Amino acid sequence: MSGPLRPETHGPLRRVRENPTPLSPAARARRYLPFATGGLQSLLQYRSTFLTTGITAAAGAAITVFLWRAVYADAPPGGGPGGFTSESITTYLLVAQVLQILHANRVDDEVAAEVYRGDVAVMLVRPVSYPVMRFFACLPVVAANAVLVGVPVLVLFALLVPLTTPRPVDVVLFAVSTALSVLLAFLVNLLTGMTGFVTTNTWGVRMVKQSVVAFFAGQLVPLALMPGPLSALASALPFRGMVDGPLTLLLGRYDGVAGAADVLARQIGWAAGLTLLAGVLWRASLSRLEVLGG
Amino acid sequence: MIVAEHLVKEFRLTERKPGLAGSLATLFTREHRVVRAVDGVSFTIPAGAKTAYIGANGAGKSTTIKMLTGIMTPTSGRCLVRGIEPYRHRQANARGIGVVFGQRSQLWWDLSVPDSFRILRRVYDIPDAVYRRNLALYRELLDIDALGTTPVRQLSLGQRMRAEIAASLLHDPAVVFWDEPTIGLDMVLKDAVRQLVNRVHAELGTTVVLTSHDIADIAAICDSALVVDRGRVVHQGSIRDLLRTADRRSVVFDHRGRPDPGPVRAEIERGLPGVSASSAEDGRIRVDYPADRFTSRQVLGFLLDRFDLADCYAPEPDLEDVLRRIYGGHREAPSTGVPSTGVPGGGEEGVA
Repeated sequence: MSGPLRPETHGPLRRVRENPTPLSPAARARRYLPFATGGLQSLLQYRSTFLTTGITAAAGAAITVFLWRAVYADAPPGGGPGGFTSESITTYLLVAQVLQILHANRVDDEVAAEVYRGDVAVMLVRPVSYPVMRFFACLPVVAANAVLVGVPVLVLFALLVPLTTPRPVDVVLFAVSTALSVLLAFLVNLLTGMTGFVTTNTWGVRMVKQSVVAFFAGQLVPLALMPGPLSALASALPFRGMVDGPLTLLLGRYDGVAGAADVLARQIGWAAGLTLLAGVLWRASLSRLEVLGG
Repeated sequence: MIVAEHLVKEFRLTERKPGLAGSLATLFTREHRVVRAVDGVSFTIPAGAKTAYIGANGAGKSTTIKMLTGIMTPTSGRCLVRGIEPYRHRQANARGIGVVFGQRSQLWWDLSVPDSFRILRRVYDIPDAVYRRNLALYRELLDIDALGTTPVRQLSLGQRMRAEIAASLLHDPAVVFWDEPTIGLDMVLKDAVRQLVNRVHAELGTTVVLTSHDIADIAAICDSALVVDRGRVVHQGSIRDLLRTADRRSVVFDHRGRPDPGPVRAEIERGLPGVSASSAEDGRIRVDYPADRFTSRQVLGFLLDRFDLADCYAPEPDLEDVLRRIYGGHREAPSTGVPSTGVPGGGEEGVA
């Protein structure tokens, strides 16, 4: 246990590195990757969570799907309310359910808890940006939800009910739009979690956020079926890009290249805006951070 | 290396009235009270020093550490760590420091210690040679391999603290801030931690800032002390200087033949005004004298003249006593009658 450092095992300690040089963006990203792999490792310890999420999601999807199929049962072949057919409304609601699973990244939970308990202080001791770290840490959650819950639910219902087969180009557009929706969901949840700086009732804030997002994203009811003013309000909010946006592209419910570009541009715009907002609020919150005790 | 200039941190606390009625009242009216946790603290800690940041509970130690680590922004004043204002350039500062908060874990709750270390290695870009060398060091001193692949949440406090301490040094930081680093450690591990920090300090010149309630830690690790009381620095200097501020010192002796201690104590107190003599539990007699009136030589001389001494020594002033006096606002420390154990170690002026 004691004694001087023996040279035959390892030489005297010597400083190897001083003044690290500024990093390229790629090197910076590499520094955050361990948070993603570490997150995945943590996640795999709680396998049963995925089973529960899967059952809940499947049950939720079953209720909406069969309800709406009944509503559209007598729809004319050219399309019923909102221009949906029985197949396309089923596809819409089913994929909306899967998107919601991708958006359940736990960031709101974890940020709120860390801010509330003061554990955020410990995170700030590391030479990384906390919000960026949170983003990387949530990626495995999103990926695991997609693979272990989203895909099985989708496959299950594809076998049970008739769905719309999308065009390949729309599938590609949907994939891009879904990636952006995941980013939007992260930002919305980050901002929700950050309310922990000003209130201890983050549970209430999270509940409100969940309802607002579910409604205005078009997850419960497609925006096309909402009355005019409500639909206009939903279009003006960032949440639209989380569900309605990707599904507009998947179902080909857009007007040419310009229509598709409009959906993506709105998503990108909101992602940039919310990133800026989160960044400004984060800095402001940190400067008035008060961690009392230990 | 570390500079604090008129550092102030105030907190706004909501005043809550007691009882249910009081809780309901706070729904409608809120009164805020400003608490000044750190009150214009100024100090300089040179590079390579091992400094104990000492203060009673609520003295503003942890708050100061949080400002030095960039977690909190001072209300006014400023501090510099290696020329960087930590709260302005938090990430740049974080590269060069290592931190242990005894109360909070900075490891990954669901991961094993080796997995946590692998993440830290990437986060801090630790070169392979440094990483391997440090792991070998922790293996040797902290028996880090014994922690195995257990997730951190299942480790005992002592096991976790070992890992926290190792994690704080993994990237060869220029400065380490250790806030209560040895809670939950047994004697053997405490000793190992002291060896580790002393070795890292000797060979890398690491600056160490330590807060602890364990006087033995302070004495074994630190060479200088910064004593804070109610948000202000009340002493800065070497531990030795701090000990010299003791206003009472003592001499302990054993009387050959062990006669009745009562008359002996009375004779001493009569012969040396201001001195108190008490019986120590092992049959010895302890003489406490005011340091500004007598020297240990005078007291020893008096005793040697009058009594047949079997054993006699003057212990170093007890760091704990000195601190108790400072914390207590210079009130007389309650006499315990227990002989000083000379915690600071070594340097006992013994007379056979």
